[in-house]
Amino acid sequence: MNPFVWQRAAAISRKEVFHIIRDPFTLAAALVLPVFMVLIFGVAIEFNVKKVALVVSDADQTQSSRRLLDTFGSSGYFLLQHAGSPNDAIEDVTAERARAALIIPPRFEKDLYAGRGAQAQILVDGSDNSTVGPVLGYVGSIQTIASRRIGNFNSPNTYELRTRFLFNPELNSRWFVIPGITVVIMAILSILLTALTVAREWENGSMELLLSTPVQPLEIIVGKVAPYGALGLIAVTFVYIIARTVFGVPFVGNLAVFGLGCLLFLVTYLALGLLISVVTRKQVVAMQFAMMLGMLPTQLLSGFIFPVESMPAFFQYFTMLLPARWFMRIARDTFLKGSSLLDLGGAFLALLIFCGMMIFVATRRFKRDLEP
Amino acid sequence: MNRTLIGFIKKELTQTLRDKRMRVLLFVMPVIQLTLFGVAISTEVKNIRLAAVFDSKDTVVRHIYERSINGSWFIPARGSGQDPYKLVEADEADAVLVPPPGGFTRSLGRGDAQLQLLVNATNVLQAQAIEGYLKNIIQQTLQDDLNMSQAAPPIRISTRVLFNPALETSIFMVPGTLCMIMIITTMVMANIAIVREKEMGTFEMLISAPVSRSEVIYGKTVPYVILGMSNFPLVLAVAVFIFHVPMRGSLPVIFIAAFAFVCTAVALGTLISTYCKNQQQASLAGFLFMFPMIMFSGLMFPIENIPDAIRWISYLDPLMHYMGLLRNIMLKGGETSYVVTHISILALMAVITVIASFRRFHTTLE
Amino acid sequence: MNEITVDVRNLSVRFGDFTAVDRVSFSVRRGETFGFLGANGAGKTTTIRVLCGLLHPTEGQVRVVGVGFEDGERAIKSKVGYMSQKFTLYNDLTVDENLSFIASLRKLDPAVYAQRRTELFDFISFGRPLNTPVHDLPGGTKQQVSLVAALLHDPDIIFLDEPTAGVAPASRSRFWAMIRKLAAIGKTVFVTTHYMDEAEQCDRIALMREGKIIALDTPEGLKRNAFPMPMLEFDPKEPLSFAEVSAMAQHDVFSFFEPYGLRFHASIKSEEAWERARPQFEDTFIIKRITPSLEDVFIHKVEGQAV
Repeated sequence: MNPFVWQRAAAISRKEVFHIIRDPFTLAAALVLPVFMVLIFGVAIEFNVKKVALVVSDADQTQSSRRLLDTFGSSGYFLLQHAGSPNDAIEDVTAERARAALIIPPRFEKDLYAGRGAQAQILVDGSDNSTVGPVLGYVGSIQTIASRRIGNFNSPNTYELRTRFLFNPELNSRWFVIPGITVVIMAILSILLTALTVAREWENGSMELLLSTPVQPLEIIVGKVAPYGALGLIAVTFVYIIARTVFGVPFVGNLAVFGLGCLLFLVTYLALGLLISVVTRKQVVAMQFAMMLGMLPTQLLSGFIFPVESMPAFFQYFTMLLPARWFMRIARDTFLKGSSLLDLGGAFLALLIFCGMMIFVATRRFKRDLEP
Repeated sequence: MNRTLIGFIKKELTQTLRDKRMRVLLFVMPVIQLTLFGVAISTEVKNIRLAAVFDSKDTVVRHIYERSINGSWFIPARGSGQDPYKLVEADEADAVLVPPPGGFTRSLGRGDAQLQLLVNATNVLQAQAIEGYLKNIIQQTLQDDLNMSQAAPPIRISTRVLFNPALETSIFMVPGTLCMIMIITTMVMANIAIVREKEMGTFEMLISAPVSRSEVIYGKTVPYVILGMSNFPLVLAVAVFIFHVPMRGSLPVIFIAAFAFVCTAVALGTLISTYCKNQQQASLAGFLFMFPMIMFSGLMFPIENIPDAIRWISYLDPLMHYMGLLRNIMLKGGETSYVVTHISILALMAVITVIASFRRFHTTLE
Repeated sequence: MNEITVDVRNLSVRFGDFTAVDRVSFSVRRGETFGFLGANGAGKTTTIRVLCGLLHPTEGQVRVVGVGFEDGERAIKSKVGYMSQKFTLYNDLTVDENLSFIASLRKLDPAVYAQRRTELFDFISFGRPLNTPVHDLPGGTKQQVSLVAALLHDPDIIFLDEPTAGVAPASRSRFWAMIRKLAAIGKTVFVTTHYMDEAEQCDRIALMREGKIIALDTPEGLKRNAFPMPMLEFDPKEPLSFAEVSAMAQHDVFSFFEPYGLRFHASIKSEEAWERARPQFEDTFIIKRITPSLEDVFIHKVEGQAV
């Protein structure tokens, strides 16, 4: 086995750099795209459910019922619209014109004054996951407030729950989303970039040329990963700057720790991209695989939005195989919690193992024979 | 039908299906993915590690803690420290209940009862859910424990969840994931189709024959519509039979919706391909479109939350319309005005995109 | 049979600032085998593309088998067969799948297609099974199948852009045998090539340089025109330095002195001058009289010093 020669790897890197510079499209994609995406999604994504379209069917039309409506309206969570009969209201929910319906029966005020307890009903659209939970929660607190305001009822069970939200006191969605979306974008972009380069070289024959030289597969891999890794780090830097300046996301951790995590993560996914391209050898297929293995799992299973802890046990173990899951931890914790290298030791170890594994497998799979 | 069109369809289908990897990607992967994601992901927060720092005399807190652990959302935190902040920081607990000095039970009698809750809020969704669940549990515990013949609150608002009373996660997620998988297979393939011919050189051969623009464009899109529609029944079957997502609407309607969507996706892929000179550009462009399409579709977070200034992007997103259609048809039976509106929007998008492709496409090399 | 099938008048093709084809005019008759020679980038492929209806002329007129761009590019395309520089068959399809696809592009009736295919396979003596994947074929055979593809719709005129590039010599000569057969049945064949021995087989040749036609004649005519005087070959007994070669080239007796591989070809200005000058060279070279080849013409006109 020939030894690993740095000069050869460096030569391949140099060539790759020329390719990148000459292809403004790729350069733009790698640098501008992440920035653009972070900006748009940072602004768009908001988890606190507000402005829920609530259609109201008020069969009572009394002062009390109107005050109930008022309580709902002034909570800030709901946007009220009016319908006629309860069936009309349900129709509105079915037709996606509202997400919930409030049905107030005709005896509402009478029941209230008679001490029988006024009833009302909320029907929530269960087909949309994002609103059900919060709405049910709001209803609970509105019931308490309404009881106090309209029914002059002071529950003896009053207590005050003082909640301290650690590391993100104002539940700022952006603080949560932006580190997450950085991870997702970097993962997808790295896989795509490398998956396509090598597949393209197989398709246009220049890989055969490369393999006819004494170059070793490991040198090819290192040579290709280096420039894209550098590109990725530059992109992450831009994104970091935006996160801090435009969105005001705090960074209480250690930049070096975060940087190390970025590096390991980028290299892992770049190597995975190379592996995909080596195995598939055709750009169309490489692209599809990159989407399936890169984009979907990273968006859905890494803990970006859907919590890993909520997954069935099998999947919690399964996602341990996803480097993105570990880096998501590292990113969020260095930004918001200030975790040190030691705290995140497990995550770093996992990333390191994956990194090594990817490179190892990619090297092995680089077939030396030229049969397509 | 036009002989040239038939020839195209045969050729594209043969080329795509002959490649074993493509076959896997088209038919096997979507099923696997759907199964995987349908089971794994949910926005429901579970397995929350709860700790409570209390002494044995503080019965109410103990009851709160026990009730939480016995419920379906919380599990006991590992870790044994007494410093609540450190527990959360060391990631041994997600939430910690901290009664006031002297105990919560006693403070209740005094009327100035306070209970502190520390929550790890790096995950905003989770933090909100935790607070919500705990409030609920505390309320119930107080009612039971204090056992006063207290009056019931004068206003009682009961809740009912329509269309998915058991709040089954997969019923939310599976239709959404289905859409996502479909767009990847259709749009990407159509995108690469034209660019590949240009890159290989076969495009020149193609247009050296007296073919019209429509023949080439339809020849390159119709086969991928066929392929896209061919894996729809498969994933639909998985959704209905494995995940028990109800199918309350009619089959013809859902197929029309799928068809409208597939046409739009393929048309979009084709339009994008007219801007790309090689496959790498085509792939990056595909990603550039798909990622925001998925994000703005409403699968991951509510569209209503998006600031008004940029919410229009969602309305331009075919995936958003298709996801809404699938959910509406499968879970609500397909309300006529909604279905008609959104299928029409998809159809309109498809038509406009195809027209734009025509304008950009030339049967000469210029 | 002497009808003009290709008529080009003042054809210019410009891409932005770059002029690929510069006021080119020529005509080709039915049954002619017309060769186009020139360096890469001279404008040959661009001209062919215009004649096939693939590119619009910036200026000038073309008529191919009686139709021009004013009849629509599809009218031109339906009359011509075209084989481009890359073997543009689909590697992942079989021979039959490729050909039936092309037949569908040309809207041929399936029965007509089957018959043409049999005839053409006969023509090229194609012995393999129809369902052979194209990527399994050797280069020369892919060639031939590409030719069949171009001939499927029985066009009157066929344009071949470097059809034998990268093909083995035996296959090349077989290919040209087919071209001769095509000419014999009255097809007009328009071919570009870099192989001089193939160019010799054309009825007439046009030499292109930087977008212009600098010579147009039969092979014999070109040679006679370029080298009215006898041609000599100089075989150096020992390798020469650049200085020595320059000195020789400047010598008065030569109207043309160019390297030809390891040797030199030269044309003399007059017999008397040569008789006088010859003794100088006889020590250093073995000298022979030769008949000029097209390669000589090419080097002289296209690659050599500017005329």
